[in-house]
Amino acid sequence: MSARRRIWMPLVAVAMMAVAPGFAAAQAWSYKDAAKPYAGRSITILDEVTPLQEHMRTLVPEFEKATGIKVDYQLLNHFEVISKGQADMLSGRGAYDAVMLHSPQMGLLLDAGVIRAIDDLLGNKALTNPGLDRADFIEPAADSLTRFRGKTYGFLNWNYNVVYWARGDLFGHPEEKAAFKKKYGYDLAPARTLQQMRDIAEFFTRKKGEKLAGQTLDSDFYGIVMEGIKGGTTLWTVLNAFVKNFGGDIFDAEGKPTVNRPENVAAVKFWADLWKFSPPGQAEYSLIDVPTVMGNGIAAQTLAWSDFVLGIDQPGKSKLAGKFVYAGSPANAQGKKRSAETEPSGIVISKHSKQPEATYLFLQWMVDKSTQQMLFDRSGGAGVPIRTSTWALPSVKQSKFAPLYAAMQDSLRYGSAKPKAPKLFEIMDVLVGLVQEVGLGKKTAEQAMKEGQEKVQALCAKCTL
Amino acid sequence: MHPLTPGERAPLTLPSPHGREGGGGWFPYALIAPAMLTLVVVALVPFLYTVYLSLHEIRHAQVGDWAGLANYRTLLANPRFWHSAGISLLFIAIAVPLEFGLGLAGALVLNQGVRLRSLIIPVLFVPTMMAPVVVAILWKIMLAGSWGLLSYNLIERFGILTGTSVLASPSLALYALVLVDVWQWTPFMMLAFFAGLQSLPLTPYRAAAVDGASDLQAFRRLTLPLMAPLMAVIGLLRLIDAFKVFDTIFLLTGGGPGTATESTSLFVYKTVFDFWDLGPASATAVVIWIMFFVFANGFYQIARRKLGAF
Repeated sequence: MSARRRIWMPLVAVAMMAVAPGFAAAQAWSYKDAAKPYAGRSITILDEVTPLQEHMRTLVPEFEKATGIKVDYQLLNHFEVISKGQADMLSGRGAYDAVMLHSPQMGLLLDAGVIRAIDDLLGNKALTNPGLDRADFIEPAADSLTRFRGKTYGFLNWNYNVVYWARGDLFGHPEEKAAFKKKYGYDLAPARTLQQMRDIAEFFTRKKGEKLAGQTLDSDFYGIVMEGIKGGTTLWTVLNAFVKNFGGDIFDAEGKPTVNRPENVAAVKFWADLWKFSPPGQAEYSLIDVPTVMGNGIAAQTLAWSDFVLGIDQPGKSKLAGKFVYAGSPANAQGKKRSAETEPSGIVISKHSKQPEATYLFLQWMVDKSTQQMLFDRSGGAGVPIRTSTWALPSVKQSKFAPLYAAMQDSLRYGSAKPKAPKLFEIMDVLVGLVQEVGLGKKTAEQAMKEGQEKVQALCAKCTL
Repeated sequence: MHPLTPGERAPLTLPSPHGREGGGGWFPYALIAPAMLTLVVVALVPFLYTVYLSLHEIRHAQVGDWAGLANYRTLLANPRFWHSAGISLLFIAIAVPLEFGLGLAGALVLNQGVRLRSLIIPVLFVPTMMAPVVVAILWKIMLAGSWGLLSYNLIERFGILTGTSVLASPSLALYALVLVDVWQWTPFMMLAFFAGLQSLPLTPYRAAAVDGASDLQAFRRLTLPLMAPLMAVIGLLRLIDAFKVFDTIFLLTGGGPGTATESTSLFVYKTVFDFWDLGPASATAVVIWIMFFVFANGFYQIARRKLGAF
């Protein structure tokens, strides 16, 4: 190495550190140092129980070891997290320092003023990791969930999303491929549009005794299965995977109800038309039943929550494991704007927390790049990314679920948090019953949307915050 | 002491330790004080607080200004409340008489000294002892469309109800829930009635046999009158319990399809935990309590005067 190079190298290093001040700071900052004033304190966090959080729970001791902060990380089921978490925050009891919220809950709790904004904590250099890299969070999920009227309410913690999921073994069968091409004039492949999804549903709906992929069916086979229960996420899938792709929405830009607009009627009609290719019990199917039905092999395709798919497409869980294909949630062939159903969720600090700084450190650690990497490694490459950088992790790229991750990435580009409306659960309850009745053929889409408009207007003239 | 004859009642209390009939001073009160205190703390105080809440504005779980009867007006003008009350009444109107009739019939059969009775009786306890969530999961597996053990193998396979499923059908879902309730509670009624039958005195039956009474006459003239007080108590308890049914509906249909199975319990649950509309929810609780108080009191008076129950 020449003397000139030896002189220049330290200078270049110093210059680089000057240009990138965050680099040096990131090197110096540690959870251990940041947590020193809070070591020995205890915090209680309420989160939802799914396999994702169960993997996260195994990592929590790492945080406790690094910081000396004791974390009671409680996991409850979906309904209990909502009822118990909300009750705790609204009542002011303050048993939880932070509570997991699904995006539909944000409106009510922001309106009640019980979520603590974290902007002051983000601005605190002693508490905030310079390498946090908030620009790395997947958008529009993160911003639509956590930002409201110029303030930040937590991080994107969980990034549930709906993907298109189909039977690869059927799609690859030569006879089925040829018959499909002959009938519809294009190649059989995972649906990119809602219209293709309908064609596929129609094509694969077969009666007992007919042939499917060369085999005689001993029971009916269905072209599609969808969530149809009154409750769950039925309404949100109808709205975000269908209605918005048709250019509709249930509120206008000012938050006034627009349930009966023609685009909504057309989309609900399209969705309900798919019911004739679905299993008879679809009106009972929840977001848990849909993956089960797909795993049992009685339907050709669906729209399903990707975290549930991860639980089915595994050896031993379904005889069809490894034979599925995936794509992002389909677009409308005639639509101008694409939309997908996603459910960005976050853990927010309760206004009643007595330990906001220690809680903030834990929440920050949960979404830290290194924690996210550990989470994916620990789960064997089965997770749902919240960071853009996660897509490039070896545990994701080399995962057997790589095609599913590509589908997730596609869906997540077009999904946002739910509108921040204090009465959103009541609105959802009204509308889900109505769309279900359209699916069951008890009401026309026009009747249901007209009734929905009247009922939602009776609840709120301006529904969003 | 002489043996009791039919229609004669056993004394309800032990002789007073103070040796005074109808008196006892503070002692009887001391005996019931723990139970009364518990009742006041766990039932009366929350109920009075519910009444208080129902008369106030409540926003985001925070009690606001005095609202008078506004919450009651909102509730009574809500068609969904009346719909849910109708669903609950229809549910008990079908389920309870079925459970009552089948339970009594089963008890009479058991009372005939059927074979393997010692095996049958413990088995009959099983549905009643099951947690509602287990019952719901069990029946979900039985009635699920396309793959349910019962719905597919016994119904759809033979071309009945194709294109729908029992729990997904607005016209059938409520009857499916009635079926589940009947399955769970008929054995309880059967065992309660069987216990009652076992305790009936034999003397009147012997006298009736000497008089040449048929089995049907003995049942009508002896069994029913002697069993009436027990049947009144069990019937009332079952009516109250059936009106409160929640778990199985919540888990099997969520109140749907549409609002076809939304009972008042489910309506109250949603109003509180989904919509956080605590004012009207409290008013609903109070209205249901008043309805039941009036009904139960009427039932009590009739049962006491006409049947000698209570």
